[in-house]
Amino acid sequence: MLIELLLAVTLASAFVVFLAPDRYAAKLATTLSVLPVIGTAIMWFSFDASGNALRDGSTIAFETQQEWFELGQYTLQWHVGVDGVSFPLLALTTVLTTLAMISSWTPIKERQSQFYGFMLLMETALIGVFVALDFFVWFVFWEFVLIPMYFLIARWGGPRRKYAAIKFLIYTNVGSLVMFIGIFLMVLNLDGLTVLSLPAITEAVLAAETLGEISLLGIAAFDVKAAAFLLLFLGFAVKVPIVPFHTWLPDAHVEAPTPVSVMLAGVLLKMGTYALLRFNFTMLPDIAVEYALIIAVVGVISIIYGALLAMAQRDLKRIVAYSSISSMGYVIVGLVAFTPHGMGGATFQMVSHGLISGLMFMTVGVIYNATHTRMVGDMSGLFDKMPYTVAIFIAGAFGYMGLPLMSGFAAEVLIFIGAFESAVITAAPLITAMAMFGIVLVAGYLLWAMQRTLYGEYELETGYDIGRAPVHDIAPLLALIGLVILLGVNPDLIYQVIQDAVSPLVDEGLAATTVAVDVFGGVLR
Amino acid sequence: MSEIFSTAPAIVLFPLASFLIILAFGKWMPLRGALAGIVATGFSLAVSIWVALQMALNGVGPYQETLYEFIAGLEGEGVTLTFGVLFDPLSVLMLIIVSLIAFLVHVFSLGYMNDEGETGLPRYYASLSLFTFSMLAFVVADNLLMAFVFFELVGLCSYLLIGFWFRRDGPPSAAKKAFLVTRFGDYFFLVGVVAVFAVFGTTAYAGENSFINQAADMVGDGTEYTFLNLSSQQVIDITALLILGGAIGKSAQFPLHTWLPDAMEGPTPVSALIHAATMVAAGVYLVARMYGFYALSPNVLAILALLGGFTALFAATMALVKQELKQVLAYSTISQYGYMMLALGGGGYVAAVFHLTTHAIFKALLFLGAGAVIIAMHHEENMWEMGGLKDKMRVTYLTFLAGSLALAGLFPFAGFWSKDEALFETLEHALGGADVLFVAYGFGLLAVIITAFYTFRMVFLTFHGEPRTDHAEEPHSIGWNMKLPLVVLGIGSVVAGVLNMGVIKEFIGEDNLFLKEWLDGATIGEEYGTEAFALSYSHYGEQLSEYAGYEAATLSPLGPGAIALVLAVVGLGAAWYLYRAPEPAPHMTKLGGVRTVLMNNYYQDEAQVWFATGFTLPIARGANTFDQGIIDGLVDGAGGVSMYAGERFRKIQTGIVSNYAALLTLGLLLLLVWLGIDGGWWF
Repeated sequence: MLIELLLAVTLASAFVVFLAPDRYAAKLATTLSVLPVIGTAIMWFSFDASGNALRDGSTIAFETQQEWFELGQYTLQWHVGVDGVSFPLLALTTVLTTLAMISSWTPIKERQSQFYGFMLLMETALIGVFVALDFFVWFVFWEFVLIPMYFLIARWGGPRRKYAAIKFLIYTNVGSLVMFIGIFLMVLNLDGLTVLSLPAITEAVLAAETLGEISLLGIAAFDVKAAAFLLLFLGFAVKVPIVPFHTWLPDAHVEAPTPVSVMLAGVLLKMGTYALLRFNFTMLPDIAVEYALIIAVVGVISIIYGALLAMAQRDLKRIVAYSSISSMGYVIVGLVAFTPHGMGGATFQMVSHGLISGLMFMTVGVIYNATHTRMVGDMSGLFDKMPYTVAIFIAGAFGYMGLPLMSGFAAEVLIFIGAFESAVITAAPLITAMAMFGIVLVAGYLLWAMQRTLYGEYELETGYDIGRAPVHDIAPLLALIGLVILLGVNPDLIYQVIQDAVSPLVDEGLAATTVAVDVFGGVLR
Repeated sequence: MSEIFSTAPAIVLFPLASFLIILAFGKWMPLRGALAGIVATGFSLAVSIWVALQMALNGVGPYQETLYEFIAGLEGEGVTLTFGVLFDPLSVLMLIIVSLIAFLVHVFSLGYMNDEGETGLPRYYASLSLFTFSMLAFVVADNLLMAFVFFELVGLCSYLLIGFWFRRDGPPSAAKKAFLVTRFGDYFFLVGVVAVFAVFGTTAYAGENSFINQAADMVGDGTEYTFLNLSSQQVIDITALLILGGAIGKSAQFPLHTWLPDAMEGPTPVSALIHAATMVAAGVYLVARMYGFYALSPNVLAILALLGGFTALFAATMALVKQELKQVLAYSTISQYGYMMLALGGGGYVAAVFHLTTHAIFKALLFLGAGAVIIAMHHEENMWEMGGLKDKMRVTYLTFLAGSLALAGLFPFAGFWSKDEALFETLEHALGGADVLFVAYGFGLLAVIITAFYTFRMVFLTFHGEPRTDHAEEPHSIGWNMKLPLVVLGIGSVVAGVLNMGVIKEFIGEDNLFLKEWLDGATIGEEYGTEAFALSYSHYGEQLSEYAGYEAATLSPLGPGAIALVLAVVGLGAAWYLYRAPEPAPHMTKLGGVRTVLMNNYYQDEAQVWFATGFTLPIARGANTFDQGIIDGLVDGAGGVSMYAGERFRKIQTGIVSNYAALLTLGLLLLLVWLGIDGGWWF
């Protein structure tokens, strides 16, 4: 019942905040958003899941399964619960929402009750996405996320906010449509499937592989599955985003106000990789294994191309936005490796990148609040004027570069180890080495941007008089730095449950390996 | 005996504690955090020495323990990533070096930073403490992953300290370059670490199952790898080269040396600690730490020797023409690390560690001496603006001279013994059949003359002759806090040679080569050198002859020692001849075009800057144009097509009733025709 309570409290908070007068909205909403954080903390201490929620033999934590209504041959259920993959993301969502709200106090001055109401509404939907275990429930939440997000960008955004918001909405919606077709291609001909809960779909699809039950219009079962995989992949690729479906992202980020960027990069992108993990890599591992090399190359392209794009930008926020594309590329490479550290590291990277990119967007936001510009050439020597903000910027940037003992390093090194010894990617060591070159590029563009904005003689083109940032701007940054270091020093805090949840997927992937290349070791020792 | 080692990790933790304390309370602390740093490094030094004494006298150790499971993961699900400590003769020696230099540099900083009224001192001391912590942790690391973790962290500290004077333009740029160039090397290192995990499943240095032992078992076992059909020997070669990438970056070897001269933008005590004695030594230490692995591949050893020899010579030539005191020292540092790499590649493990030790002492001394001169000269660094300082700065001059004699390799100063041994070991193995080492040895010998020359050019220009400027006439006085470290290191530069007087081993006996015995574990537990701790000097010797085919020729060290000494004297003599005059002429300008090339460092920096801004950046800009134009253009185009189509289809809805009626009728007719044909109404 804890999950229902979490959803109900967050939703109720959203409505309360909508009705509250503007001048109380910020503090009220922030206070109310602490409730879900407390909720996840309680869940943290009584978390007892084991295995992967979608696979047999797992224990799902805080599970509720209730028949809801009939739809044709299918019975729809209210089925929610969390496992080692979804729980860290759930915790990320609640924590990041609260911190993003605190960071809104300075920049958001208009229609505050609506802003914070939409934020809470979005939080509700995001929680829903990560806890849903029934396809129908999941899809409703998945689509619902877009609505508050659209308004948050279109109302409180920058000069081109209308364009960015509608581009975001349409692009991701088309993605959802493609994905929806993929799902139905997958489940349509599965005999005996009467419920659309994700575990049931998974079992049916995996079993169908041997029974040959999936076939449509005389197309071989494997081809139908491959087509379904492709459609799902394309649909989720927009959300992640994977190159070349990424162009909505920089526009949305640049126009969105800081806290919305934080949520967008920190949590919304993870919906894409989370869904890839849940659908493509859990339900169709045989296809993923078959096309592992192509998928890995797609990931590598995202890493390198995203980093090159980031290097060409002048707007600090665009730099961070493009680097997200690069970071999400690592997740793809890790997921497709089908090794414990590859898949586990990829999931860890989702959480880690959520924290670090949130931190970077917030820091850029704090600088923007004071300078009213984000252009690299417009300012220099900020260290003198805003020492704490800049110190945090430096720490966050090094976190982004994968400095050891910060969470990004743990995530990346796990992905690299996992991908390097992958048995399913052809020439895995070479592919991994190419992916790893991202760590040089990221250092290049971040250090270069830092040199030009933070150091040197103080100058500011916009002519604003700037001073130290208020405490409530700095506090969420410190909290994020603390979390990044905590997870960097002690990754096992969440990594053990993550690994527990992904290991059944690894086994399934390896079992599906018929075309696999031998492990790098040649001889298995 | 393990009680000692259960407290020994404190060596690493003291500076961590002082870092955290200074970070939190630095502003309000006595001496702006310097005191905490001095106390912490002092404790580290004391405990290190105590451990060393226990090992030397009571025979404790070696000792390895896993202290922290960084990523334990699940049982049997992928590799485990751990942090642990390895106390053995090599690491304990290095601990003493690092904590000693760190301690002295903290004291020196009181004079160089506090007394000069610098602002931002808590930031300075916090970074120094963090550096000391990271460096010590790197040294005691018991596995390659942990080594990489702290290898990167020292890189961060180097970045922060080079960029300490962030208001100027130079330091931030130099800091960026230092981090980026070493990151480029670290990229290869990380690929190597990941490869070691993939091939061996562990990165532990010690233990029966260490990757080094596994590799030794694997060589020539005939395993073919499915990846590119590599043999096990090739896999080991490639892995060793990848890890060497990190060492080349950090130890500033060709072609990744370019960051080090720029790093001189940082405060001089930082140059002494990080960019001369310790962090730059990390690369050499890394190779020495896993020498058993390198000993397995003759090809990599040959590359190492050639690279080291070439760097030694190459960097020395650039030092010939530099005008700034610190620049000469920077190129000399690169050159000296070249000697260590040369020694490692030439099979001289002890020689490399020995030279690492003596170099740390005399180069830290020279940098601190340069710092004292710079303070005295009111932050003037150009040697042509100095002159005649020897009478006004007696302590600085004498200690600087001791360091210079050591650097030039003159008997009986520390550098003579260690550099000589590096060259001798290479020659010995070259004569033993490894022909390629002759080339490396030749490079090394040639560099001896140049080294002695540029060193004494520096000494004569700075301290001798007539004062050439007002500042040189009236130098600023320096305090005890700067003199004390100079004296300590000056004494070290004179006497450190006794650690291993290999040149005269025929007279004093092999057993009295203290460092060699120490690194062989002669004073400690029996298990050193066995499978469990395959890290001893004699074990490496066996491996070198078994796998690399290195055989030592029988040769007296006296002859080669004399040759090197004569060459050093020649170089010194040339410098004396050219620069002893009260008003020395700028002789180097006679070199003309060669000088221009040397002053511009063979245009290496230009090449690297071009690679970053002339090559990578245009690609990035091109990608951006492509992205905005083509990819995003397609997306917006798809939207445009829909809009256009919508616009057109909208026209169907004219709102004229007769049009709709006509369409309705047409539709009905078509329906009737279709039903008629398909439904069989008419046929």
